[in-house]
Amino acid sequence: MDKKKSATPSRREFLKTAGLGVGVAAVAGGVVSADDAEAATLQDEKKTGYRETEHVKKYYDSARM
Amino acid sequence: MTSVLDAQLSLSAEEKFRAHFYLLLSRLLGAPADAELLGLMQELEGDDSAIGEAITDLKKLAANISVDQSAEEYEAIFIGVTQGELTPFKSYYLTGFLNEKPLAELRQHMDELGIEKSEDAAEPEDHIAFLCEMMHGLIVGSFGKPLALPEQYRFFENHIANWAPKFFEDLETTESARLYAPIGRIGKLFMEVESEAFLIAA
Repeated sequence: MDKKKSATPSRREFLKTAGLGVGVAAVAGGVVSADDAEAATLQDEKKTGYRETEHVKKYYDSARM
Repeated sequence: MTSVLDAQLSLSAEEKFRAHFYLLLSRLLGAPADAELLGLMQELEGDDSAIGEAITDLKKLAANISVDQSAEEYEAIFIGVTQGELTPFKSYYLTGFLNEKPLAELRQHMDELGIEKSEDAAEPEDHIAFLCEMMHGLIVGSFGKPLALPEQYRFFENHIANWAPKFFEDLETTESARLYAPIGRIGKLFMEVESEAFLIAA
């Protein structure tokens, strides 16, 4: 059915071995460890230094729900 | 907010790592690193993958650079006296000019996805840091529900994959890049991972 899937490692396996789990959550989230993924992503709405800067502080996005 | 939390709880660790990478790149590229960010870079732990090695380089450099030096480097690369060494906008990379059709296409897509920029946003939305922030938001559901992979791919393909790899390559090799060299390499490698992972998922 899906030749491609059987021929390649699953997406999850691929991502797992790609070296993404290197403690980036700490930087992304500000102060939390890589294990605290939830906390990191919840915080980061406000933590994205991006919006606080001279160069790009004018950017702002918001959900239109 | 509850719905965002619920959605995030259902994301696998691997998808969260992707989201964090985008947010990391957004933070690194959207502003000069402050002391907190430089400190956090030193807490990264690279493994023996290609990205892991670039992360280790970044970690070492971050330990040996001051906030002022890092700001000077950011300034030279992205701001400059009249123009920085690099112009990290999608439209510029694809057409040689800011605010051209590639930006219009992004705005249309943002509109479709329910992403708005604030009223006082004077600069174009196709800055690399903004695009990375949007990818992060689309993965974790900051703009509503987390986007399914095919829809994420459509955004990635149309607004990022067609220029960001070249930008990250430029960042790695641009004249003033020291701290930003491994950042460019991390971005370049991450783009490769993303492209391949999307194909596996397709």
